[in-house]
Order: sequence, then C-alpha cells, then structure tokens
Amino acid sequence: MFHASNNIVARIFSRQISSPRSGTSVHRSRQFYENLVPSYTIYDVDCPDYSFRKFTDDGQYLISFSRNNQELIVYRPTWLSYSCKGDDCESHGLPPEAKRFESYFTQLYCINLASGNESISKDFFLYMESNHFGVFATSTSQILDAPVTEGAIHGVPVIEKITLHLVRMEDGVIMDERTFRNDFVNLAHNSGVFLYDDLLSIMSIRYQMIYILQIRASGHLVDVRAIGQFCQEDDELFLNSHTQGFVPLDKGKQEESSICQDNSSMQLDQPTQGGAFLSGIKQRLLSFIFRGIWNEETDHSLRVQRLKKRFYFHFQDYVDLVMWKVQFLDHHHLLIRFCSVDGGMSRNTDQYRAFFAVYNMETTEILAFYQNSAEELFHLFEQYCDHFRAPSRSPLYMNFISSHSNNIHALEQLRKQKDACLKNKATNFSQLVKKTLAFLPFHCQSQSPSPYFDQSLFRFDEKLISSTERHRPSTEHPIKFISKRHPYSLKFKIKPGPEAGGVDGRSKRLSCFLFHPVLPFAISIQQTLQPSVINIHSVMNIHFRK
Amino acid sequence: MGSLLGNWPSYDPHNFSQLRPSDPAHPSKLTPATYHPTHNRTLPPDNQVISTEATNILLRQFYQRAEEKLRPKRAASENLMPDHGCKQLRGSNADDSKPYE
Repeated sequence: MFHASNNIVARIFSRQISSPRSGTSVHRSRQFYENLVPSYTIYDVDCPDYSFRKFTDDGQYLISFSRNNQELIVYRPTWLSYSCKGDDCESHGLPPEAKRFESYFTQLYCINLASGNESISKDFFLYMESNHFGVFATSTSQILDAPVTEGAIHGVPVIEKITLHLVRMEDGVIMDERTFRNDFVNLAHNSGVFLYDDLLSIMSIRYQMIYILQIRASGHLVDVRAIGQFCQEDDELFLNSHTQGFVPLDKGKQEESSICQDNSSMQLDQPTQGGAFLSGIKQRLLSFIFRGIWNEETDHSLRVQRLKKRFYFHFQDYVDLVMWKVQFLDHHHLLIRFCSVDGGMSRNTDQYRAFFAVYNMETTEILAFYQNSAEELFHLFEQYCDHFRAPSRSPLYMNFISSHSNNIHALEQLRKQKDACLKNKATNFSQLVKKTLAFLPFHCQSQSPSPYFDQSLFRFDEKLISSTERHRPSTEHPIKFISKRHPYSLKFKIKPGPEAGGVDGRSKRLSCFLFHPVLPFAISIQQTLQPSVINIHSVMNIHFRK
Repeated sequence: MGSLLGNWPSYDPHNFSQLRPSDPAHPSKLTPATYHPTHNRTLPPDNQVISTEATNILLRQFYQRAEEKLRPKRAASENLMPDHGCKQLRGSNADDSKPYE
C-alpha cells in the first residue's frame, strides 16, 4: 500500500480510486478537514446585536436570541464568495461585504416566543434533525416563598410558568407547546430535558415526575407516560378503585384527606409527610435494593443482619432521595440520577452522595442502582461511554464526537488520568470515579460535532476551547490547533476578540465559539462589558485565472 | 497474434500468448471449481435465524448484572452459566428464512 499523502489533490485522487476500510467513511471524509482549515480570520464583523447561540447539528440554521430574550431569530448560513479579476489580486483586501454579517447569513425569520414577564432560556435548545423541529423553552422568574403544595418537594426553586415550544425551523411556525406551572425544570444547558429520536423526557424536580412526550411528524407533542407517582399507566386507576373507604395511617392528617365516594372522579390526597404510599418509582427502587441485599446471603439470620445494617439503617436516606436528572439509554430505558435536595442544589458534588438507577419504562423494573463512587459503573462508563451518550443517529457524524470509546487519543488521555490518580497518594480512586461520573446523565446535544474537535486530527488546549459549548475565559494569545499526525504542524489559530488585542487588559473576557458542523467556518464571540466582538474564521482560497 | 488484452504494452509480449480472446462461437469450457461438503456436521439447524440483539451492549451488561444480583445464591457446585447467544431458535414460522450460508 502506498503512503497516504497529505496533499489535498492526492487525497481527492485516492478517494476516486479506492474505497475506505469498512466503517471508516466518516474518518476518511474528515481527513479533508486537515487540508481545509478556518485559518483566515475576519475581525470585528458588523453584526446585529443578538446573542448567537448555536448552529443546528445539520448545519442548516443558526439560532440566535434578541437581547431582551423574547425573540428568536433564525439565520441560514451561506457561503461568501468573491472573485477579483486582474493581475494584482493578492494585494487587494477583501471587499467591504466580507465584514458584514449579512454576507454570511440570511435571516429567515424573527418570531416572538416569550411575552410579558417570560424570557427565553438562552442556554436551552434541542434540535430534532429528522423533521427540522427545534425545542425552545421560556420561563418566568423564580417565585420566592412558594406555598407548600401536595406532592411537591421543598428546597428547590419554583418557577411560575415554564413553557416548551416546538418550532418548525424551516419557517418559524410554533407547532405545539407544553406548559408546566409552579414547577422546577432545570433548563440550564439542556439539563432537565433529553431528546432521543422522537422521545422527549422532562424532569420535573419539584413534583418528582418524569414526563415522556413523543414528537410526532405532524408537530404535535403527545403524552406517552408520566413516571414518578405512578409507574404503569393504570396504577392510578387501580389504586383509586381499591382505596374506597380507605383510612389514612397517619391519624393526625385525617382531616386533610378527602375521599370522594364518586367513582368517576376519585381524589386521594397524598399527605406531604408520612404519606400512606411512597411514590411508585421509589417503591421500585427500595424493593430492588432490598432484594439485592436479601439475595446476598442464604443464611436467614445473617441476611436479616445485613438488611438491618445496609437497608433499614439508611431507609430514611433512601426515602429522602429525589430524582434530579434523567436521560434515555434507549427507547425503553432511562438513566436516573438520585440525590438529596441539598446535593442537587449545591455546586460541590464531592460533598454529597448521588446515586444512579437504570429503569425500564416498559416493565417498570429497576435494573441497576449504583452510588456515584461505584467502580463497577465507572468501568462500564470506561468501556461503553458512547452508549451512555445516546446520540441521535442522524446525521451520521453525531456518532463520531470524540470520546474515549471511539478515539484512541481520548482513551490514552483517560488512561493517563487514571494512572496519575492511582500513583498519587493524595487522591484516591473513588474521587476520580466521582469526578468522572459527575457528567452522568449527559446533557443532550451539548457537544459540537465539528471535525475540528476530532482528537485524531487536531490537538488543542481543552481549557480554552472544546466541543462542549460553554463560555470560557479568553486569553490574549490565539488558540492553536496543531495536527495530531505527521507533520505535527500548526494548522490554524482561532483568536477571539479584536485584532489588536483588548484595550483594557485587565477586564475579564469570556468567549464562546460556534463551529459549523460541516463547513470550515467558525464564529468566535467575545463578551465583555461593551457590546460583543464577533470574529469569523473561515477558509480563504485564492484562485487565479489568466 | 492478438492477445486478449489487445495491443497494450506489456513487459514481455509472450506473457499472454496462451490466452485466446473469448469467441462466442466457442464458449470457454472451463468451469470454476466448486467445493461440496462431505459431511453435514456443521450445518445450522433448519429454523435458525441470526439477528441483531435488540438491546445495546451497555444494557445487556446491566441486565446480566441484575440477573446475577437478584438470582438467589446457590451452592458453588450448581454454578450455572447464563445461556446467552445471538442465535435463537424460532418456532416454525410460515416464512422461515434460509439458514445463513
């Protein structure tokens, strides 16, 4: 076999005459991104004063929001081309159009999503590529001193109204909406909502319910199930029909319970404390833990002792656990993170214990229950990281976002981290396990699929830029992308901010980077107290024609 | 004489002298060699269907561990291996797929 050349013409020729090794079509097409890099920067582009959020995963739309967080503006990325006739083209600069935002993007529409005291959650956006639907969220401000309600847990913020909007991206028509009142759904960075295929899971933390909705091709949001209080669809009916004339165990709350003898609308008040029944999901969880401990011993007295020590002693802690975050593992299975209310609200994850449970929605069985320091779960995560991420299957390159399960360089990095941790006596392995598992369940669609973040192609400083779309502190120096393979040279640089560098070197600057998933095109946005500075990074090709 | 490959340049013009251009009047009598098995020990069962496991590998791991955890412990001598496998015998179907050859 001949040596693969890095020359783009040689690569194109090789693509014509040979097929890639099986399963590597995406890898081979990505190699061309080594030749086409966004090395040319256009600084300080004149653009409208919107906050630009994200390119959709198929690269068709750019999502942005107005400054007052009430309007959604969607652009179509276009490709600027410019030609110059004459002998002395190289010395000509780019035309003035190159510095205008409108040359690169065509506005499709501007729609109003939030009205009154609502505002759009800027960090929230989910895209369903198959139907070109986008899910946006608007919410009102937090209510302080919320009244105690039935079934609600204490200690979490309460938001008066959260609305999820399903928008058809082609023309901006709002297809459907779903509202949650006096509830708390964590909208930051798609935390509380997960999209898998056409299923949407919404974690209502305040009422401890997981709502599963289906997005139909017609644009309707259809309720599939609600897990939490009840697990099966007919649990509620079953319980209500069997508790006619039921006397609550806690006599102190007798006056609160009102049981209507009317069969058509039964209402069983759930007392907030010391209730008659634990919620369905909690019961499943506790019985799973119980049976696991029961089966460990065959001898009866040892068994009871074990149960006392490991189950009954911690019983109240288990009962007090709340569901905090959920994701799909496949169409029927959910990965749920349980923690205490304090643990969920706190930023310091080390201090509080968290648990993970795998739940089958169809059979309503809990399959697994692990603490966040469990080595077994860590090993599963190490081996099958991509299955935890549950990416959408279209477009195909979504499956190839670098992780330690699909990229040898990322795997090496993980191994080095592990080795360093084991050698260093100051840190112990369980801390590394907790730190790694803190990412679970994953935020949906939180990573950019751009090939420039492929760790087989480029090496870059992960603290300054990475596929995870977050604001990062920016430095004076441009961010270098160095090729991972021979000849290991600098391929391109991304410099956010004005060309000459910031005037005031002391002000903290945050940058965020939007990479187009397919085109060699990126936007860097630097935010300070002044209006943001936007740079466009693209490919500059000069063609000569005599 | 004209070789099968026409007048293309070749290292040694006598290399392809044995080859005659194929002539529709005299079809080639060569048939490719075929191999037949002499026994049927390796034949798959008649109603075997090979299909992809529906659950992904991660969930299979969870199920396996759950099964081990929730199965009541037996004495060491009765160490049963779970009978997994991609190949599953299906009951007689009207449209039996051919065994994979």
